[in-house]
Formats: sequence, C-alpha cells, structure tokens
Amino acid sequence: MRKHLTDGELRATLDGELESERLQHLEACADCQARQRQLEVEHAQIARQLVFLASVDESVPAVQKVWNRFSQQILMKKETSMFKKWFTFPGVRFGAAALLILALVLAFPGTRALAGELLSLFRVQHVTVVPVDFTGMEQLNGAVGNNISQLISESVTMQKEPSDPVNVATTDEASQLTGFNVRAPEGLTPSRISVMNGSAFTFTIDRAKAQALLDEAGRSDLVLPEDVDGADVSVNIPSSASLAFGNCPEPSNKSEAERERQRETEGSGSPGRMYADCIIFAQIPSPEVSAPASLDINKLAQIGLEFTGMTAEEAAQFTSTVDWTSTLVVPVPKNAATNQQVTVDGVTGTLIERPSDDAPQFALFWVKDGIIYTIGGLGSNSQKALEIANSLP
Amino acid sequence: MLTKSMIDSMKNLKTDVVETTSTESFSSAFEALFQEHWAHVYRLLNRLVGDPAEAEDLALETFVRLYQRFPLRETEFNPGGWLHRVATNLGLHSIRSWKRRERYEMAAGKYALEETPEVRPAEILAQEEERRLVRLVLAQMNKRQSQLLVMRYSGLSYKEIANALGLAPTSIGPLLLRAEREFEKQYRALPGTNRQGRRAKEE
Repeated sequence: MRKHLTDGELRATLDGELESERLQHLEACADCQARQRQLEVEHAQIARQLVFLASVDESVPAVQKVWNRFSQQILMKKETSMFKKWFTFPGVRFGAAALLILALVLAFPGTRALAGELLSLFRVQHVTVVPVDFTGMEQLNGAVGNNISQLISESVTMQKEPSDPVNVATTDEASQLTGFNVRAPEGLTPSRISVMNGSAFTFTIDRAKAQALLDEAGRSDLVLPEDVDGADVSVNIPSSASLAFGNCPEPSNKSEAERERQRETEGSGSPGRMYADCIIFAQIPSPEVSAPASLDINKLAQIGLEFTGMTAEEAAQFTSTVDWTSTLVVPVPKNAATNQQVTVDGVTGTLIERPSDDAPQFALFWVKDGIIYTIGGLGSNSQKALEIANSLP
Repeated sequence: MLTKSMIDSMKNLKTDVVETTSTESFSSAFEALFQEHWAHVYRLLNRLVGDPAEAEDLALETFVRLYQRFPLRETEFNPGGWLHRVATNLGLHSIRSWKRRERYEMAAGKYALEETPEVRPAEILAQEEERRLVRLVLAQMNKRQSQLLVMRYSGLSYKEIANALGLAPTSIGPLLLRAEREFEKQYRALPGTNRQGRRAKEE
C-alpha cells in the first residue's frame, strides 16, 4: 500500500484538487479518511469566516465611467513624469529655486528693447504660466533626453556654485545673510528658516549640436537661427530664503527626481502622505539674465514652445502676449494642473493647483518690489497659501 | 473566478498585444483588456477592503500598473493572474494602513446597513465586526499567506493560484493549510475574539 496522504494533500481533497492516483489511496485508507474528517471540521470554521471574499454579483461602477477616469489618470501620470524629467537636467538642480530658474532659462526673457552690441539685462517683474502638454515630449525619455542633458552639461559654465541650504534662527538673520528683507506672515511660526547662497552660470549655445538634437527628436521642422551659435546667456541667481510651516522635508539641492529615487531606496512613503501639512514659503530677488542683444529671443521662445507640442500659431499667439523683458514664464503641465490669477499681497499673482488622488500640490507665485515669492505645498488646501500671503506685514 | 473562456481570451489578447506596434491599436487592446477584467478586479477589491470608493481607486491603480508594463513582451504573461495578484497586494496594503482601515471600518457598517435593510442591524453589525477582524488578521499576516487565502477564497483554482504566484500546483494544498492554521492562530490572539469559547458553545 502506498504511503498515507499528507495534511496538505488532505487539504487539497476538500477543494477537489487532489490528483486521482492519490485519491484512490484515500478511498481505501480508513486512517486517512479519519484525518480528512478532522481537517474538514477545522476547515469549515475558517471557510465560514472567509466566504465573504467569494464572488457575488454585487454592482460595479460603470466601466465606461471608470475607463474615462483611468485615461485621465494615465495622462496626468505621464505628464507629471515628463515634467519631472526636466528637473533631472544638469544646470537646474538648485532645490527650491529650481522651478524659477528652469522657467527662466526655458523662457529666455527677450532682448527686443535694446539693440547694438550691448548686453541686455532682464529682471522679473511679472509671472505668467504657459500650459505645456508634456506627454508630447516622451522623446526625452530615450537617447535624445540623455543627449540634451549632456549638451546642457557641456554648455554650462558655473561661475558660482550654489551651496547647501543653511538653517537660521530668525528672519532677521536670514535678511542679513541674503541681503534683502525676508518677510514672515504674522501670527504663524515657521518650523524652519533656511537660506541658500546665490549662484551664477553662463550658457553658451552650440547651434550645430542643438539643431542635431532637434533633428534627432524628429523635429527637423524647427530650425534654429544661424546667429545663435556661440551666444552666451549669463544667469545670476541671488541668495534666497525659505520658511517652512508644518512637517517638511529637510531642504536639499537635490532634484525632485533624485529625491524620489532616494525615497524608493529607503522604502519611505510618498511625500504626499509624509508631508501632507508642509508648506514652503520661498523668497528670492529676481535673477538677472544677460544675453547678446542680437539674439532673437522671440524666435527661440517660439521654437521652445513648438518643441513642447504647441502648434506654430499657438506658440506665436502666446509669445505675442508676453512681455519677455520682464516676465517669468512658468511651464505647467497642461492636463495635470490648473491655474488662475489671484490678488495677493496687493498685486496679481498666479495660483497653480495639481489635483491628484495621492499627492495633490499647489503653488502660488507673485512678484513684488523686485522679489519673487512662491508658496508651495502638498495637499489640496491652497487657501492656506493665500492666507499666508495676505498676512504678510 | 477565472473561467476557461476568460483565460483563453486573455491568451488571445496577449498575443494581439505582443504584436501591436501602433499607438492606436495598443490603446484599443488595452481598453479591451480593461473592459474584460474591470468588474472582476473591482469586486475582488471591494470584498477585500469593504469600501466601494477605496475599491474603485485601488482597481484603477491596479490597471495603471498593468499599463506601465505595456507593451507586453513576455510570451508567458498572464494578465488575469497578474491583475489578481497585484489587486490582492494593493488591497492588503490598503487595509494595513491604519488611516484607511479606520475609514473602511466605518464605511463597511454604513454600506451594509444601506444595502440589506431586511436583515436586523444587530446581525449586520456582528457580521461586519467579524469581517473587520478577518481583514485585520489578513493585513497582519505574512504577505504570501494572505495572498494565498485571498486568492483561494475569492475563487481561484490551485492551478490559477500557482500560475499567479509562480508556485508548483502541488504545493498549494500544503501552503494553504499552513496559511489557514496561521490565520486561525492570529485570529484567536486578537482581543475581542473568543474562538474557543464560541466553539464550545456551538458544539
């Protein structure tokens, strides 16, 4: 006679899952049958408790409705991912100020006000947003993205490296270190105040390489003007200050993508849950951008906007509405974020909101007396940003 | 439960997907997959977490993760089994989170009262309390053992479970028995349960 059934095999018989050869043994073996009955009693109690997991014909949300929701989620994830991709490029890894600097470099504030051989100097007086469909920039994920990173890295010469942020005790101390009056809302105590030294770099345009990249990305219809070759664009970023409210991550000059990789490695949760009540209030005097007056910034801006997926007409229409000599243009994901103009701190500001199931975000921008202010946070309580801004002395 | 015809259709779809090159056909292949499995994935999660809104979110997240794997290159990839495994993991992860758990505990009682008015509330509450404790035990058990229990009791065959978890079909019986015994042990250890006393009373 073959050996008795194991407990595991007996358990399988209760689900009708034992192979027939072993079942023959069971039919002939009284010992195994007794053990099976015992196991059946043990199993019945557990089965009674877990039976609710079994399929029943409960109603389900209409498939078309959830498919639409799914499609929207995919679009937003794709777009956010491409948006973050920009922040992995060298030359823009400057922590809290990254968005501002990036926007500035991308937007190339214009030169049309001046002529001749003089360098033009620009300062930010206004903020505007340009909705960009980042899903159209998937080519950045592959070799093209790496080549763009390499080109930027080769084209940037750092004159002054940014330092790591330093925590200070008071806004007075922050004002002393940064050289401008750091403001704090009345009635709210920041959990941390930090300052970051300024930085400066020059970006030299290599037309042949830049055009080769456009061609490689399948956009040979976009032709860079010949005279951009060798043009130097200098960016000087002053020292900045930031005030944190609530539980916030330590300031860092790492890019968002690098921080995300770190969170994954460490197994920590999503920032949306870890820092749900965090609000950062950043302040920075306008960066200065110098470029040769001969540079046709409107043309370059138009090419940049078309590269992001705008039609030539849309790009031309947008460039014609912007005063490039004084406007900071902030690119925001077209499908994943909304923006509106708001009155804040006595001037007109822009409130950008990115709804999301797991990590909604908001950012409020405005410029006053030459200082760019941003209040950003996780969560959907953008009203808090307006309250902070409107309680500034 | 995944029927033979469902599994066959998934295999066919898998072949279509592997051969798909254009964005449009890729999108319609994925939409077909979504429409075929949506109800199954949603129901599994709804039973597991006991909260329709949470179940819908998690079911969508399950499909987002499948989407991120597309286009499929593995010749042996089984979308049905994969979806079941990922949905189970997401559901278990969800009930491990105390905040969500707190929410579904409240939601479970509320929905039960709304949907079965003919049953006396005391019975519903007792039933929901038991389900709450079962979910707590599933959430705190070893992940592989919880997966086995959820998959088996939601109707998968041993072969389907083995396929989804990368195990030999003959190992499912012994592993399932071990998981059930662990479940029983942890259930008994929960405050508020008196399994032995209850059994004696039943006998």
